[in-house]
Amino acid sequence: MPKLRILCSVVSAVLMLTAGQALAAPKPKVIRVGVSYNEKIHSQIQAWTDEMEKFGKAYGQQHNVSFKWIVNVANGDPSTQASNIQDLINQHVDVIVARAEDAAAIGASIDAAHKAHIPFITFDRQSSTVQPDVHVGGDSFAQGITAANAAVELLKKNGVQGKAIELLGDLKDMNAVLRSQAWHQVEAASKAWTTVAQVPTDWKPENFYTGTANALAAHPEANVIFAASDFAFDGVLKALKEANRLAPAGDPRHVWMFTCDVQPQALEPLTKGYIDVAASYEAYAQADALVTVIAELLAGQKVQGTHLVPGRLFTPQNTAAMPAVWSRDYKD
Amino acid sequence: MAAKERFTLGRFLLSYGFVLTLIAIVVLCSIASPAFFTFKNALFILHASAPTMILATGVAFVLMTGKMDISIGSTAYLSAGVGIMLMVHAHMSPLPACLIIFAIGALLGAVNGFIVVVLRVNPLITTLGTFFTFRGLALQITNSLTISIPSDLGEFGSIRVGPFFLDTLIAGVVLAAYHLVHTRTVFGRYVMAVGNGVDVAQKVGVPVDRTTFLTFVLAGLMASVGGVLTMAQVGSISPSLGQGYEFTAIALLVIGGVSLFGGEGTILPGIVLGALTLTIIQSGLNFVGASPFVYPLVRGGIIFVAMYADSLKNAVARKVRLIPE
Repeated sequence: MPKLRILCSVVSAVLMLTAGQALAAPKPKVIRVGVSYNEKIHSQIQAWTDEMEKFGKAYGQQHNVSFKWIVNVANGDPSTQASNIQDLINQHVDVIVARAEDAAAIGASIDAAHKAHIPFITFDRQSSTVQPDVHVGGDSFAQGITAANAAVELLKKNGVQGKAIELLGDLKDMNAVLRSQAWHQVEAASKAWTTVAQVPTDWKPENFYTGTANALAAHPEANVIFAASDFAFDGVLKALKEANRLAPAGDPRHVWMFTCDVQPQALEPLTKGYIDVAASYEAYAQADALVTVIAELLAGQKVQGTHLVPGRLFTPQNTAAMPAVWSRDYKD
Repeated sequence: MAAKERFTLGRFLLSYGFVLTLIAIVVLCSIASPAFFTFKNALFILHASAPTMILATGVAFVLMTGKMDISIGSTAYLSAGVGIMLMVHAHMSPLPACLIIFAIGALLGAVNGFIVVVLRVNPLITTLGTFFTFRGLALQITNSLTISIPSDLGEFGSIRVGPFFLDTLIAGVVLAAYHLVHTRTVFGRYVMAVGNGVDVAQKVGVPVDRTTFLTFVLAGLMASVGGVLTMAQVGSISPSLGQGYEFTAIALLVIGGVSLFGGEGTILPGIVLGALTLTIIQSGLNFVGASPFVYPLVRGGIIFVAMYADSLKNAVARKVRLIPE
């Protein structure tokens, strides 16, 4: 019986110690984040999502917070996105993060969230109407400027007067509009090229292919291509190949190519010298910035209205050694 | 003896308006950009419109029966998505993978057919549901990635037979086959009979349910063929594959003379006319360097005119039938 008494005493002591510790340690604050994606049709979005969760966990351990992500997807329809965001409002999330399908239409959702006293963060795509609490994303204008300035340097170095085909993105996407503005701003200042064709692609790979082929046929003198994004670059390369214009730098048939994003499809053409310069879109850094902004905003700290993550300049020479390239991890 | 139909300008324009429009577009674009009116460009236009022609051909019979299928884009993506995963992850060679793609396309069409015919759900509602379901499944399977296709399949998209791209010839064969089925077979007559009136068709012994089911299966099959050709052309499959295909296909069918009300239309030359109209407009806008903001306006305008002309044609036809001889 004395042995049993000792055993019970030890067990009680351990239990009391554990309970005491549990009571003493503050529970992490749970932050419920409602994330509204306009669509989930790019690997970049998966990269964001995975990094948000990973960085969120690490950040949470350091700052005693816990992120709970509530995600919905609008399938490319602005009214579906508005409805999805209303669902998040009705669930009383702590903050809403939205990647807008339509830069103008998202304003109504921002209004609705504010009326419900829920902070609203636009992610990747800015609102062109009502402004959110914070915007976090890539600096698309700077991306375009980076690519365009690199184009000026390369073309002048090689004594080339450029005749450019511009492959525009979806005109409802502010990123596409800003990149185009940057391209034309540098064009006007430097006179290093003349844009001879503007091809709207609506971000559709088929349009990258047929648009490039048509533009090359209409302007056989074209020797430069600027692509607002290189996510569908297989089609561009095919069109160049069929026109017998696919050749790396150094070949007389080479078409100077400048792109934005450094998506998975662009890695191989970059390393092989088909793409001369690409200004990256830093998915990992943007996701990290978003998590930090969310935590700081909800902690009542003063947060800047816009957080733009700059891109890096990728060339055939430096791509292989460049660290933390999200598109390498999501290449299929 | 029946009196010859009197020639009126209105009737002529309704019947041949789009041919005239097409000719006008070609002339205008050729003046604005001499490089537009070349044999090489004509071949490329045929090549670019080949997948759309095949997709539209598949939907044609569905429309002719008076039904609707708006899931063909999602069918194209799901069937192609399964195929690309087999090629990339299971290292299956392209030919058997493509056969599996076609089988899946037909199966997805059969799902639509089953829901419409057996469960008696409205075709628009049915295919609206599968529009979302199939695309959702495809996004899940491909993890929303843009995936480059194996190089031999990519090469297939650029193969030429003489001056013609191979996919143009494939589209030609499909169109010819469908035209023969439509004009020379009992099934073709059944399709038109169902479109002209289900009750009457049933009374005269047309197997309405079987005919309707088969039209959906064929639509799914052709959607998968169109998906493969699109994939081969652009060199990759992306989550946007097939988006908007259903509306493009229906628009070009209406442009080509197939009625949304059923019971009317031809495969040849209607589908070729419709597909070429849309592709020539797109290509022409590229060639003349039109402002990017003009594209949706022009495309939407053409589609509106096509739909309006179709409804006018039906209104005129109804009035003609009402007027006693």
